Amino acid sequence: MKVGRPNKEGRWAWRLTGFVTLCVYIFMFAPIVATVILSFNASMFGGFPMTGFSLQWYGKLMANEAVLAAFRTSLWIALVTAVVTTAIGVVTSFALVRFEFPGKQTLSTLVILPALVPETILGVGLLVLIKAVDQPRTMLLLVLGHILLAVPYVVLITQARMVGIRRVYEEAALSLGASRFSSFREITLPLLIPAVVAGALLAFTISFDNTSASLFWRPAGVETMPTQILSMLKISISPEINALGTVMILVTVGIPLIGGLILQSLTRLKRRDEPKEEAR
Amino acid sequence: MKNRWTLYDPRLASMLIAPVLLLLIFFLVLPIAVMAVYTFFTFVTAGVETSALTAANWHEFLTDSYYHGFLLKTLRVGAMTALLCGVLGYFPAYFIWATSFKHKWLLLLLLIVPFWISFTIRTFSWINILGEQGVINVALIRMGIISEPLPMLYTEGAVIMGLLHFLLPYMILNVYVSLESIDRTLIAAARSMGCTSAQAFREVTLPLSLPGLAAGLLLCFVLAAGSYVTPQLLGSGRDALFGNLIYDTIMSELNWPMGATLSIVLFVVLGFFAAIYTRYMGMSQIVKGLGG
Amino acid sequence: MKMSTTKRLERLHDRYANGDLSRRTFLSLTAVAAASAGLSMPWMSQALAAVEQVRFDGWGGTVQEAIDKYAFQPYTAKTKIKVVQGTFGDENEIITKIKTAKPGDFQIVHSSGVNYYIKYVNAGMNSEINEANIPNMANVLQPMIEPFRKLTPKLSAVPYDYGTTGIAYNTKVISPEEAKEKGAGLLLDKKYAGKVGGYADMTTRVWYAALATGQDPNNIKDMETIWAKVRETRDLAKKFWSSGAELMDLLSKGEIVVTDAWSGRVAALQDQGHPIGYLDPAGSYAWMEDMLILKGSPMAECEELINFMLDPATSIAVAEGQSYPPSLDPTKVKLTEKIEKLPAFDKTGSMKALTFADPVYWATNEDAWTKQWDRIAKGA
Repeated sequence: MKVGRPNKEGRWAWRLTGFVTLCVYIFMFAPIVATVILSFNASMFGGFPMTGFSLQWYGKLMANEAVLAAFRTSLWIALVTAVVTTAIGVVTSFALVRFEFPGKQTLSTLVILPALVPETILGVGLLVLIKAVDQPRTMLLLVLGHILLAVPYVVLITQARMVGIRRVYEEAALSLGASRFSSFREITLPLLIPAVVAGALLAFTISFDNTSASLFWRPAGVETMPTQILSMLKISISPEINALGTVMILVTVGIPLIGGLILQSLTRLKRRDEPKEEAR
Repeated sequence: MKNRWTLYDPRLASMLIAPVLLLLIFFLVLPIAVMAVYTFFTFVTAGVETSALTAANWHEFLTDSYYHGFLLKTLRVGAMTALLCGVLGYFPAYFIWATSFKHKWLLLLLLIVPFWISFTIRTFSWINILGEQGVINVALIRMGIISEPLPMLYTEGAVIMGLLHFLLPYMILNVYVSLESIDRTLIAAARSMGCTSAQAFREVTLPLSLPGLAAGLLLCFVLAAGSYVTPQLLGSGRDALFGNLIYDTIMSELNWPMGATLSIVLFVVLGFFAAIYTRYMGMSQIVKGLGG
Repeated sequence: MKMSTTKRLERLHDRYANGDLSRRTFLSLTAVAAASAGLSMPWMSQALAAVEQVRFDGWGGTVQEAIDKYAFQPYTAKTKIKVVQGTFGDENEIITKIKTAKPGDFQIVHSSGVNYYIKYVNAGMNSEINEANIPNMANVLQPMIEPFRKLTPKLSAVPYDYGTTGIAYNTKVISPEEAKEKGAGLLLDKKYAGKVGGYADMTTRVWYAALATGQDPNNIKDMETIWAKVRETRDLAKKFWSSGAELMDLLSKGEIVVTDAWSGRVAALQDQGHPIGYLDPAGSYAWMEDMLILKGSPMAECEELINFMLDPATSIAVAEGQSYPPSLDPTKVKLTEKIEKLPAFDKTGSMKALTFADPVYWATNEDAWTKQWDRIAKGA
């Protein structure tokens, strides 16, 4: 048996692997494709077979006040979450990577906990807390909650990149008389940009997409996009929901893709010697 | 430095971590602590409770087999989902890692795209596949294989399918990350020493990728066992999971002390599994997996 | 060494310049995208508009469309006060939301009668209406007001309409004769296994189980048989619906052929030409609905709105639109022929022919029964 050339057994195993991979990809995307196709269905019942092509459900969607309001709410929450989480995440990972302080290990475990604790528990916990101190549910609470949920991911992403930035650069800047802050701003941050953008995008989508915790936390009468979809689903599956889903997919896939493209051109502009970063 | 601070002074560090620390304390640690206290509060009537301490909630949880049944069922569904994810997720991860396909990045990108698509939408899109007027039923009826639509939606199978759909990318990424960290020369070495490719896989690749697989299994298990939107959308009342019990106890019975008790139970049980995991595997693999 | 560090730094500065440029481009791109989407700060607009709007939460679907079209839109045109609307499928859901909200976040609720009224009162969420501000209350049926006044002498709600939860059936599958003969028993008929529906609500389920076991729904002796019947219906049911729109959806698509149903929604289906029959079995579950003003609401505006809604012309138009009879006294106000034909309509105005739930009796059992029902719904 020669090295590097697969034997018969190996070839079959490889084909099987490829086949399963294909099936998994189909499994991942078939329902989404079906949703997009059905959003153009002319019939008023949300199911197959299609009765014709129509854009009427998109028109109806654009006239649906509740949906538009939920969309705006979600967009704002997600933008604020992305900005704040990124800021918090960058400083935190800077501290975790560059500094030694007591409780560092505990903190780095604690930071990823929100990603591991089921949202149901986080949701109930926060609700019980604000009830115990007799505070109303506000938009601020919802945003802070989203920040909590997104922080682990942003910290992990920026941390991973920060480790790769040699501290010599900063130290050199300091030795040349730069202040602590400007050495961070002028050296560390620019090098960190790919991770910052990736983290912000992820925080945006995490917030924009959050369902379970938002159901507990949202203030009275406020619907975010996912909770609005849920309450529409309670009534019935209509092509309008499929249209809404399609629009949502365009937004949540489009924004990171565009972000990724910007990121790529950015890194290309800057230099080639840095490892290529995945958009995530 | 202009002042007496050292280069990487702990005092500066404490300022840097202050925001995240405050956030974690007020939104993670404190809520769970208050929730633990709440489990001893007395339920009066829907929406009303007093702070008179009682063990009634715990007594009810410990003695009522209704809760035990759902807890076991939730763990069973979580374990099944995690195992299915492990089996189905390993292949694509391995394929992406080992393929010589030029546009490998595309495969990876496609893997990440589901993370960007709303979880609610991904879940309800299954209704378009499994429902009475969904793809499968309509296709089968058209082909004359069945005359009455098959009831697929609102079953436990549909719930597991939905969870699988939601969790597979997590698993694949976890395994992929651990495969990436394998030194490929090890495999070449094994092959050069006469291993068949299957042997090389069994002896080198598989054992070295186990940490990623284990991290993925834990993550999928915890997330599946903690879910409640998926069973609500794709399951019937019978297919509820422990998360749904919590949601209904709080949102429809308005029994907050009991809801808090059930939440703490879920937290402790899932925490127990996570603790076992970290005891043997450490946290680092999960960190890698989550970071993508 | 020193040299190379300096060199590296120079290079870094170059990079930074590039990075800064692109970052700015990135930021401005984002800003343009946001601006073109026509966004405004939602919090700001809400704060600015707060004085000129009233919040209303109702049952959605055909009912709320009718109220919006015939009452809210004319009201807004007349007074410039906007009515911001929300919907719910289950009144407990909205009560939970109100409990965790600030007073004033929710203002008027289209509530379902005294057995829900008592929940708001117990939770201290009721307000005190100045009845002098609602002169149109003079036309409202006294028998509808009395049960509310028994709970709180100072009212927090005004009755607005009423209806029944009777049996709806698909006339293509079930003949009116068969329906009449079997009545509430249709929900337990094995012939229709998998085609039965029902409202996912404790009161409705227990009520119909009581009728099926021949017990008085307001004085149930044997709960065990009740729960057994509830389970029986559950096992026959395809799905328990949780909103009026879902009920109409399931019935019109033929996914279920028999269900307990809200009279007005069935009337709406019949109007659309669907082959759906409706009957009120003996002891059918009757309920009234009221416009409830929550504590912390702008009372004057809310009272004015309710007075406007009770104006005979408005009230009749809404009633015809939502297919539920109005709370107006038919002996005082001339109602239309269409209303007189609505299911559950009581032309005497005494309401004696209808069986309502006894609020105190149901409130005392509410917690335990809801818990049991939740369990049964989950297969226990």
